[in-house]
Amino acid sequence: MRISPELAGIAIAAALFIWIIAAFNGLVALRTRVQNAWAEIDVQLKRRHDLIPNLVEAVRGYMQHERETLEAVTRARTQAVAAAGGTVQQRAEAESGVSVALRNLFAVSENYPQLRAVESVMLLQEQLTSTENRIACARQFYNDEVMKYNTAQSTFPRNLMARPCGFSPATMFTASNAERASVQVQV
Amino acid sequence: MQKSYRVTKESRAVPLLSAARPVINLGNVSLGPVFWSALMSESAHPAALQKDQQFVPRDRESFFDAQRRNRRATWRLAFLCVLAVLVMGIPLALIVTPFLYAVTLLAADILNLLSPLPAAFWQQANEVSRFGLIAIHWLLNHQAADPEALALGAAVMLLPGAGLSVLLWVGMNGLFRNAGVGGALLALKARDPNPADLKELQLSDVAQEMAIAAGLPAPRVMLVDAPGANAAAIGTSPEDARIVVSRRLVDDLTRDELEGALAHLIGSIGNGDLRIAFRITSIFETCGLLAAVINAPFGPQSRRTLWRIIRYGIGGSRKDDPQEAAAVAEILARGVAMDTDDIDRMFDATRKKSILRSIRDFILFPIFFTNTAIKLSLWFFSGVILGPSIALLWRTRKYLADASAVQLTRNPDGLASALQKLSSDASFIPGGNWASHLFIINPGTAGGGSARPDSRQQEILARAWAASKRDAVDSTGNPAPADFATTVREFTAVQRAAFSGDAKAIERLSAARQSLSALDPELASQIPDIADLVAARRGDRAAIGRLQTLRKNEPGKKDPARDAEESEGMSSITFLAFHPPLKRRLKRLDKLGAHADLESADHKMWILTAVFSMIFAPFFVAIAALFLLLIAIMALSSLAFLMIWMAFIHAIFGFFAHR
Repeated sequence: MRISPELAGIAIAAALFIWIIAAFNGLVALRTRVQNAWAEIDVQLKRRHDLIPNLVEAVRGYMQHERETLEAVTRARTQAVAAAGGTVQQRAEAESGVSVALRNLFAVSENYPQLRAVESVMLLQEQLTSTENRIACARQFYNDEVMKYNTAQSTFPRNLMARPCGFSPATMFTASNAERASVQVQV
Repeated sequence: MQKSYRVTKESRAVPLLSAARPVINLGNVSLGPVFWSALMSESAHPAALQKDQQFVPRDRESFFDAQRRNRRATWRLAFLCVLAVLVMGIPLALIVTPFLYAVTLLAADILNLLSPLPAAFWQQANEVSRFGLIAIHWLLNHQAADPEALALGAAVMLLPGAGLSVLLWVGMNGLFRNAGVGGALLALKARDPNPADLKELQLSDVAQEMAIAAGLPAPRVMLVDAPGANAAAIGTSPEDARIVVSRRLVDDLTRDELEGALAHLIGSIGNGDLRIAFRITSIFETCGLLAAVINAPFGPQSRRTLWRIIRYGIGGSRKDDPQEAAAVAEILARGVAMDTDDIDRMFDATRKKSILRSIRDFILFPIFFTNTAIKLSLWFFSGVILGPSIALLWRTRKYLADASAVQLTRNPDGLASALQKLSSDASFIPGGNWASHLFIINPGTAGGGSARPDSRQQEILARAWAASKRDAVDSTGNPAPADFATTVREFTAVQRAAFSGDAKAIERLSAARQSLSALDPELASQIPDIADLVAARRGDRAAIGRLQTLRKNEPGKKDPARDAEESEGMSSITFLAFHPPLKRRLKRLDKLGAHADLESADHKMWILTAVFSMIFAPFFVAIAALFLLLIAIMALSSLAFLMIWMAFIHAIFGFFAHR
């Protein structure tokens, strides 16, 4: 049986078309996952913003001499809330400020053994610790998803169709220099 | 120079060795009464994870690579499993099919008697039997047959049996899909965590953290107040997945370790293991159902089981009862094991029988062969071919879940030390045996591991220890240890010294024992005398004898009958465990970056195992061949008897029909 050139051309075009659809849908699915992961980070950041005032209120009575540390936490939180509408980079900066301030607060609170006896403070601290972990986990998941998405976009042959179809690499949520620096505790 | 080096090396090695051993071994006698071993096993953990391990280049693997490798292995093994099911299905279909024909013929004959069936039906039946005979002739007499007729004959011989099995399997899947996990949770007596308890709050927090890291909906966490430390992921899909954790695990593990354990379970959920587990269980359940159907004419037990399934399937009041579903599923999963109670009772010659009963037995006699052949082949094939391949598949999933846990936590040490801790301790969960494959480590059987002092006993032990400090070795005025953890730490150190012959340490330990017997004589009676232990180490027979009686009288030992009943589970179907050995899991985690303490001295054991299996392999092959032969003989005699029976019955009915 002889295959006519027209038929072969149509078959190849159809195969190409199907591949493009599959690749496009795959990329869209990955992009949705990235967006979803980003939304999860958002949820956890919001949770942290809500928890911080409670914690500050709860420990204020016991930590009279640490006014500066407490104020730093409140200030960092205000900045982070203000940056909520900004870009990934801006938000990462602001949120790492909160992380550093909170870590300082926890480090300082080691000097107040009486805090350990207060159950509400312990529960709050556990919640905040968990929230910190959740943010870290959400960030890790987001970065993993971004890695998959970006790899899918930049590998051959999908890199040929990614740009024209409107896909662009997503930004990773990286730790800032401030967060990387070790915690300074004044005793 | 060299000499001094050797001395330091030995002095470092000895205490580590004695600390890392939870139970003292004297020849083949294992001595480790309750609290002693509890104290020692706890002290073993810090030594097991040494941070100052010497640095050796290792072939590292990224967790993404490990996952990819295990996923590929899953595909290979899934193919093997499908092959195993086919290999198992062909003889099974060969045995079931004639039985189905016999039943059909009987039904047709009865119908014919009431209202004559059209001649076309009997013609069709003749055709079917002709093709079947062609296949049998080809198989037994090597008679040549044209391929088309042969194919038809094979179809005639195989399809009805295979169709019935597939139908049963689909039915089972449908039946238990809706049942969900409620029954399992009831069997485990699971409860919701208490948010006011800091430890339990931490548990549900960690579960949510790990779910976020995996990008999954957070599974519901439930607690079991069981004596063992273990955890499982239970459910049929990621949506209805539950994580069941025993309270003791929460108490025992640090946050890092808890993270590792939960990440293993959540990673397993994310990898879709629950669906795989559901499929695996349904295969075994189908085998059990098939055995029950075949058994039904003989035994009231399997009739009851069948009746329960039918009642459950039809619905009614029991449809909403999750416990009923779990109970039925458990009975079926156990059905593959060879229990011939019903048959034995049937052919028990000592029993008085009425004439009617004898006639019935005579009529049912050929089915006896079918029954035994099916059970034998189910037992043999599921134990030798299907079981091991499914166990291998499941082990791969466990490794994959371990690699996923490392991805989620980025902390291989957490999982490695959790696994070490859990497997050195009692891990049995009552009511969880049917799902032993879903647990993070093999739950084992009741009575394994050591009992743990409860909080009251802990307090007494700590007090006794503190008291002895003041009595014997008058200290430098340190404050007495208040908590159990300090006691354990100090106790371990003193014990090490005692074993190496320090008289002061021995004195201290016996003083502790004395002050303990003053506080609680019953508790003290369970702890061996330190003098005995030291003497036993030197080989004193009398001391060994005393320690042995102490061990025998150890409380908390279950009676063996209960043990046997409890040990029924999925893993008992095959000789290969569903859980990979701890050492291999640790080795793989080590490749992923954990600092697990891998003993390198076991390669000799490996060689020994290899040599032994080389020697015994021919025997095993011979036994397997014998079994195959037996199954073939059983299948053929079943076929022959059924054919004679069919001819006989048909002739009788024909006689009546002509009249």
